[in-house]
Amino acid sequence: MNMEQASSKELLAYWQAHLDERARSHKKEGKLVCWSAALAPTEMFIAMDIAMVFPETHSAGIGARKGALDMLEVTNRDGYSIDICSYARVNLGYMRLLKEYARTGEKAEALAKSPAADVPLPDLILTSNNICNTLLKWYENLAVELDIPCITIDAPYIHDMPVPEYSKKYIVKQLDHAIQQLEGITGRPFDYDRFLAAQEQTQRSVKQWQRVASFLNYKPSPINGFDFFNYMALMVIGRGEEFAEIALRKFADELEENAKNGKFAFGDNERSRVVWEGIAVWPHLSHTFKSLKNQGSLMTGSTYPGMWNFEYTPGDLMSMAESYAKIYVNMCLDARAQELTAVAKNGRCDGMLFHMNRSCKIMSLLNLQTAEIVSKTLGIPYATFDGDQTDPNNFSPAQFDTRVQSLSEMIAKK
Amino acid sequence: MSRIDDIITQFQTVTANPKAAVEQYKKETGKGAVGILYLYGPEEIVHAAGCLPVGMWGGNKTISDARAHLVPFTCSIMQSVMELECQGTYDILDAVLISVPCDTLKSMSQIWKGKAPPITFVHPQNRNLAAANEFLVEEYGFVKRRLEEILGENIPDEAIERSIDIYNENRKAMREFCEITADYPGIIDPVKRHAVIKARFFMEKSKHTALVKQLIAEIRKQPMTPWNGKKIILTGIMAEPLGLLEIFRNNGFAIVADDLAQESRQFRHDVPAGRTPLHRLARWWQELEGCPLAMDPGKARGQMLIDLASRYEADGVVVCMMKFCDPEEFDYPIYYPQLKKAGIKNTTIEIDLEEKSFEQARTRIQTFAEVIH
Amino acid sequence: MITLGVDIGSASSKAVIMKNGREVIAEAVVQAGTGTSGQKRVFDEIFSLSGFSWGDIDYTVATGYGRFSIKEADREISEITCHGQGIAFLCPSARTVIDIGGQDAKAISLDERGNIVNFFMNDKCAAGTGRFLENMSRVLEMDIEDMERCHFLATEPAPVSSTCAVFSESEIISLLSRGVNRNDIVAGVHQSIATKACALASRAGIVDDIVMCGGVARDRGVVDAITKKLGRKVTVAPHPQVTGALGAALLAHRTIK
Repeated sequence: MNMEQASSKELLAYWQAHLDERARSHKKEGKLVCWSAALAPTEMFIAMDIAMVFPETHSAGIGARKGALDMLEVTNRDGYSIDICSYARVNLGYMRLLKEYARTGEKAEALAKSPAADVPLPDLILTSNNICNTLLKWYENLAVELDIPCITIDAPYIHDMPVPEYSKKYIVKQLDHAIQQLEGITGRPFDYDRFLAAQEQTQRSVKQWQRVASFLNYKPSPINGFDFFNYMALMVIGRGEEFAEIALRKFADELEENAKNGKFAFGDNERSRVVWEGIAVWPHLSHTFKSLKNQGSLMTGSTYPGMWNFEYTPGDLMSMAESYAKIYVNMCLDARAQELTAVAKNGRCDGMLFHMNRSCKIMSLLNLQTAEIVSKTLGIPYATFDGDQTDPNNFSPAQFDTRVQSLSEMIAKK
Repeated sequence: MSRIDDIITQFQTVTANPKAAVEQYKKETGKGAVGILYLYGPEEIVHAAGCLPVGMWGGNKTISDARAHLVPFTCSIMQSVMELECQGTYDILDAVLISVPCDTLKSMSQIWKGKAPPITFVHPQNRNLAAANEFLVEEYGFVKRRLEEILGENIPDEAIERSIDIYNENRKAMREFCEITADYPGIIDPVKRHAVIKARFFMEKSKHTALVKQLIAEIRKQPMTPWNGKKIILTGIMAEPLGLLEIFRNNGFAIVADDLAQESRQFRHDVPAGRTPLHRLARWWQELEGCPLAMDPGKARGQMLIDLASRYEADGVVVCMMKFCDPEEFDYPIYYPQLKKAGIKNTTIEIDLEEKSFEQARTRIQTFAEVIH
Repeated sequence: MITLGVDIGSASSKAVIMKNGREVIAEAVVQAGTGTSGQKRVFDEIFSLSGFSWGDIDYTVATGYGRFSIKEADREISEITCHGQGIAFLCPSARTVIDIGGQDAKAISLDERGNIVNFFMNDKCAAGTGRFLENMSRVLEMDIEDMERCHFLATEPAPVSSTCAVFSESEIISLLSRGVNRNDIVAGVHQSIATKACALASRAGIVDDIVMCGGVARDRGVVDAITKKLGRKVTVAPHPQVTGALGAALLAHRTIK
């Protein structure tokens, strides 16, 4: 593939596949593979040439390719309640099958026919609770099942703003400790130069990410917020490396070009603009996309761009700690509502759609309250729908269509 | 026996009407009461202010008002707490400490519907590190300052040290009580056992300790009779409503030990020594083992249950699975195979605080009694 | 010795009279359960069929959700234990029992003497139970015999949610309106039930022989779906509805022996 001429879409597909391949070759060569939470500070790991795999993204992929049920059945058999985060259940199912395969040399049918990206088992894991505490429980179980070290970066819940100094200090001390752990595990001294380079690279990637997000403000818009569900993979897997910056710059350039040429996401059919609050419904992604498109409802409001805005001063661990702690879902209601208001305003949204995610308590329990606050502040209507990020059982396409349609009607009435 | 019954009745009076117990405290001392939501909070700081720390564990109430604020897949205890918030039950409190060790509690802290001013605080999860203690010392300092503002009380270190002593004394007495219950299951059945333990949350601790010690002394006077029923260990967040405990009793179960957040997890280890009283309290959290709300990549819980079953010669373990509790649900697939491998019979019942008729639990518990013949 | 076992469940009342804990004299099933006239009617029927009366019965064991309301019972035993014993009597080689009733589904693991080693239940939600099957058959405008027949004519089972009965109903309506073949939908419904049942069975531990009982076992489509999912042979206990009452009558005999 010609990297210079490839589209951002092609680059996205290329790099996702490439990173999985890198993980597989690392394993073959006896180098280290790490499974990591999506918003954990990976800069240290890049510095030590550890191949990173991201279970949340991996599970989302399985969900999108309609392979979730098989994995969910595996964890169901293991005794995992269906109440638990489906990202975790899908991943723990995949882990179980890989573990059995490693033990017996025989691939279970569920693994052989799975559309899951082929990634190896980890040698260590990295978790953080800046998204949720479920990531602590999930990774506890991975650590015990695989008997591997778990590096934890605890980002205490920000119940009152601003983030206290002692909270940042605690996170920094954990980063220091993680560095020591990495030295112990790899048997090599930590590469502080590469660490700094990864931090600087992250800043550059964030700039391009913000450039892409800026197009949400255009009306009509050349970008559909659904694109963020896909492109965020770059920020998850590659923000500390060059390729994410390059692919995102490409995407931003394409959007700029489209905007200049009047090429909009919904063409002439952008009748309303909505916030989508929550994770995508991966197994039914195209249905949700089409349903909104049928209403001419373009998604221009999402808190996802903000979640990867890791803006900090390279070399200043306190500022890095703060940026990793100040994640949308890790902050008090006031801050959350303020953020969502800003998102809705920036996206020039007429209404909001809230995903009541059966699997995800951190992204469901405050939805109603946040909706009320933002709705009152901006005078825009909202609707909710029941869904799940990866468990196809918890979504009804008919219900979704009804909710989306009624939201459009509420918007039209204003 | 009647002296024992007297004392048990005192405890049961408290647990049957916690509101009255709180009001009485406030009347007698002229001081306030501070709610602790949940599971673990620095009660000693509240105690040092002369106020009554009050446990908030929901109640056996039908959920209706809470539905407006919480999705139906919120854990049963938080739905119950929200229901009581909406009904004004917690409004006699002067402040509420809200801990946030799980995602649901993080959300609950942000939608507090009671009138008492809430103070949210967070426990560190990377507990092995000294840095976690330093964080918690600061966080407890924040809690202390907020309490001082709200209660209009000064809380000096010496007072906290004294309260820690009183609490450790209570923890010790509780451990002794649990031991003695294992030896005298005929006298202290599951219903009574629970009342003694739960009363801790609504009584000033030194008073509670005195009464528990009296009870222990009276029980020791009795002859030890062999137990013909079954011996079980409960594990989970809590074993309520009362109807459930009655079913255990009616099926001849003796609770010889527990691994419940509402019970033994509160007092199975003391507040250790430390540099300052807040540092000591922080170390208590660091040393807490076997609770899913306190991160543990080693997942010691399974082995702890096996050791507990062995030590008390239990016939089985009953998992009291709090409905929709993610942390508890995550632990189960790890400790269940361990229990199975160790040959420890176990069964699971769902804890739904709203339950008024217990048909399903009755069937499961009766069957378990038949299984562990 | 004549013993009577009575199983008052959520949807039906069953009774069995046994002689000497070995011979089944009569069995009766009434499609009305706890809190209805079913209780009285099943006694009337069993006595009419057997020619016996209360005076002839040496010991009575009651089981099922309604067991504590039978004043004539000498003892109450949980239906799980009773089903275990009943199955062991009918199929001595049974080690894993899958029992899907009106309002719950259970998996029971038995030892060689018919004693329960372990059990897992879903008794809190409709998905995977007889109630679910009933609802879906109503939406499809079929009865159980139809469901069974259509199942075996299916070519590609349509995916039907196994988590939420309400969503499943909505899914089926949507499938019907899209013109999806009814047979495939039926097979999907059966698969959905099988998913839940097999998850419970896995937790109990799947050991041959696998035996099904409970009202839902009358629908061979469900049996087929479970067989396919487990990839193992599954037998349906003869008289699948009365295994609980049978076990109760057996345990009654054992008690007085």
